[in-house]
Amino acid sequence: MSKMLTKEDLAKYPFLDQSAAFIEGYNLTLSDLSAPAYSGIVGRAVERVRCSIEGGASPLQLGDPETEILSYPLALALVYASRVRWLVNRFATFEAKRCEELLKMETAPKLAEVAKASFGWRVGLEDLKLEWERLTFSLGMAEYLEVAPQFHSPSWKLTNKYVDRGRVFLDAKDFARLLAENLKLRIIRKAGEEGVKDFELPAALQPHLGGIAGLLEGKRQLYEDEFPEGLVDDARPPCIVAIMNDLSAGKSLSHMARFAITTFMLNVGESVDGVLKLFGNVADFDEGKARYQVEHIAGITGSRTKYAPPKCEVLRSFGLCAEPDRLCATVSHPLNYYKRKVRAGAGAKAPTGGEAPTREGRVKGRGRGAGAAGVGGEKGAQGRPR
Amino acid sequence: MHKVVLDEFRGYYSRLPAEQLDVKDFVRREYALLHFGDQKMIRHLKFDSVSELKRSLVEGVPANVYYSSAYYRNPQADDMNAKGWEGADLIFDIDADHIRTDCKDEHDTWACLDCGCRGRGFPPDACPKCGMKKIDTVTWVCEGCLETAKREIFKLIDDFIVPDFGVSLGEIEICFSGHRGYHLHVVSEGVRGLTGDGRREIADYVRGIGLDPKEHGFRQVTGTGPIVGPDMRDGGWRGKIARAIYEFVSGRSQEELRAVVGPVVADNISKGREKFLQNISDAPPHWGGMRGYSLESLMKIANAAAREHVCNIDERVTLDVKRLIRQPNSLHGKSALKTARVSYSDLERFDPLRDAVAFMGGSIKIYVKEIPRVRIGDCEVGPAKGTEMEVPRALGLYLLCKGAADPRV
Repeated sequence: MSKMLTKEDLAKYPFLDQSAAFIEGYNLTLSDLSAPAYSGIVGRAVERVRCSIEGGASPLQLGDPETEILSYPLALALVYASRVRWLVNRFATFEAKRCEELLKMETAPKLAEVAKASFGWRVGLEDLKLEWERLTFSLGMAEYLEVAPQFHSPSWKLTNKYVDRGRVFLDAKDFARLLAENLKLRIIRKAGEEGVKDFELPAALQPHLGGIAGLLEGKRQLYEDEFPEGLVDDARPPCIVAIMNDLSAGKSLSHMARFAITTFMLNVGESVDGVLKLFGNVADFDEGKARYQVEHIAGITGSRTKYAPPKCEVLRSFGLCAEPDRLCATVSHPLNYYKRKVRAGAGAKAPTGGEAPTREGRVKGRGRGAGAAGVGGEKGAQGRPR
Repeated sequence: MHKVVLDEFRGYYSRLPAEQLDVKDFVRREYALLHFGDQKMIRHLKFDSVSELKRSLVEGVPANVYYSSAYYRNPQADDMNAKGWEGADLIFDIDADHIRTDCKDEHDTWACLDCGCRGRGFPPDACPKCGMKKIDTVTWVCEGCLETAKREIFKLIDDFIVPDFGVSLGEIEICFSGHRGYHLHVVSEGVRGLTGDGRREIADYVRGIGLDPKEHGFRQVTGTGPIVGPDMRDGGWRGKIARAIYEFVSGRSQEELRAVVGPVVADNISKGREKFLQNISDAPPHWGGMRGYSLESLMKIANAAAREHVCNIDERVTLDVKRLIRQPNSLHGKSALKTARVSYSDLERFDPLRDAVAFMGGSIKIYVKEIPRVRIGDCEVGPAKGTEMEVPRALGLYLLCKGAADPRV
């Protein structure tokens, strides 16, 4: 174990490499944990999951670091075995937040040590004093870019960072945030890995999974996105409105604009025929070819991948982000915009500003994807919870 | 394509030493060939050796040869998921076509396919007459275009790749694309794992997308207090903005400043220009050392100045994690020039219309349909229309490949 990291640190940051080594020292299998002697660990693991679902605090029990350390992988196992994507995101967000709070209280050398010992980051301790800020950390650009694109505040853009010779300079607060976000990403990505995807919990632990499923039942309406049938006009984001205006004016669209409008319409529940009708006005419209392409995008033909629309950042790069409004500033994906407006009652009662208090509101500032299962990935549309 | 072009292309590949086709981790790359007259590439090819690739080029005589920026476990798999992506080089593409140059008025034309409206120079996004976006273009490159592209690649390397991204000259490969621009490949291990999102950030960085000067330290202390801001010696865009403002204010006329910040502020700054420049180059800089301008007008100057320091890359190429990119030392089917590797130290002297010529000696008789002034090597022809001429082989092949001439026996 690194000299700087104590057993208490492992309890605080159970994702450290050393925690894994510590757990291996116990030589336990998951089935072993169902024995009465370990009921404390199982209880703590279930509590971790429960807190992540219910959003309550989960006070750290530093008096019993072993339980803290051992319950973490078990909690993860429960989450993965649930196969509910929403729960994976939720748990990841919860752990990241917990960890960020703790990291903020650490000294710079300790923070750097945690980053190195958990994710192998090449951290530099700097002392760059600028007019306003004091940048105490530097990180390799590639490592920074693994995580930072998750945040959509302009201050996280590489363009707006202090950069020098392949290193990105950060203050302690941002560094802790980045580290926590990376933890979240790792937890979420792992869910898609072979061996985790179809992970089955040992029979003796299954009852705990049942309890978790019960808790999830109450949250179902939060993670099952049910769009009303057909397009709710008032809920369309400005970029989609602009593309549709171009279409009805008979203008010929760029490839990316076509892709964006097609994927958007399909994802809000429009039929292939409905999408084709939109293109009817365009001068170079060839129904046979268009149908093939729309069906391909819908996942009916071809690779069977159902595509999600491009996220805001992509649309911006392609010059398709048009007249963003206030709600736009709070989302990173056109489907999220639509979802939030639909939930806020667009179509029924016309919303004006679009500041919709939703569940995303509560996890605000946690980066995108936090509560948005099924949106944002290349094949995001497949990721809906089953 | 004309038989003479196919024969010459085959001859070129037969003479080419196979090792000139080598690229880093050759066997982990996907290859793709596009034949003359075909719309669809033959993809998912894998070659075990450069001589096997050479054999295939001599036999098939493709118009264009591409390899993947990505490294794959199974480059030959036709399903992207089965290919086993193991990282990719970071590619920058600078194309004279995307940069507005004055010379385009001399050699480029465009026409609206809907209403027939025509014009010269850089094509508009939409037809100025009918508003439709189907614009057909006839474009040529001249020394001016290629020189602009070269300046852009220098800017990319000297202002971004080396100082900001920390990539050494030994980790980059520069290629003339064979037609209108340059490709820069960053082949270091450090960039291989970058995701599409990470690459987008890099593309946005060099294009200055999302740049906000206020994120780089420009503030006003309390409501009406002094303005503070970055130091020219700072890293990244922070220092670049400060230097850009210095350059902008020192190099612009009062009139030009007026266009950016309005008459009052422009006049105040030009009156105290010397002092302003001295103040902001001090260490630490004094951004508010004189009266007569607000933080907001300074931000207008910052944004205008920064725009002159961005690099015009084709961002789609950079953010793609599995781009097919032109094979070094292969021929370009639209120019018969080769995709030539150029070292950084030779770049200044590099003349693409001479140094990327693949065919030496000989001459060809051609019938020219319509061309602007064109130079290949030392020979210059045009403007010309509907005439027969005998030209050096390289120039003749260039015009045949561009589709602007037909062979005559």
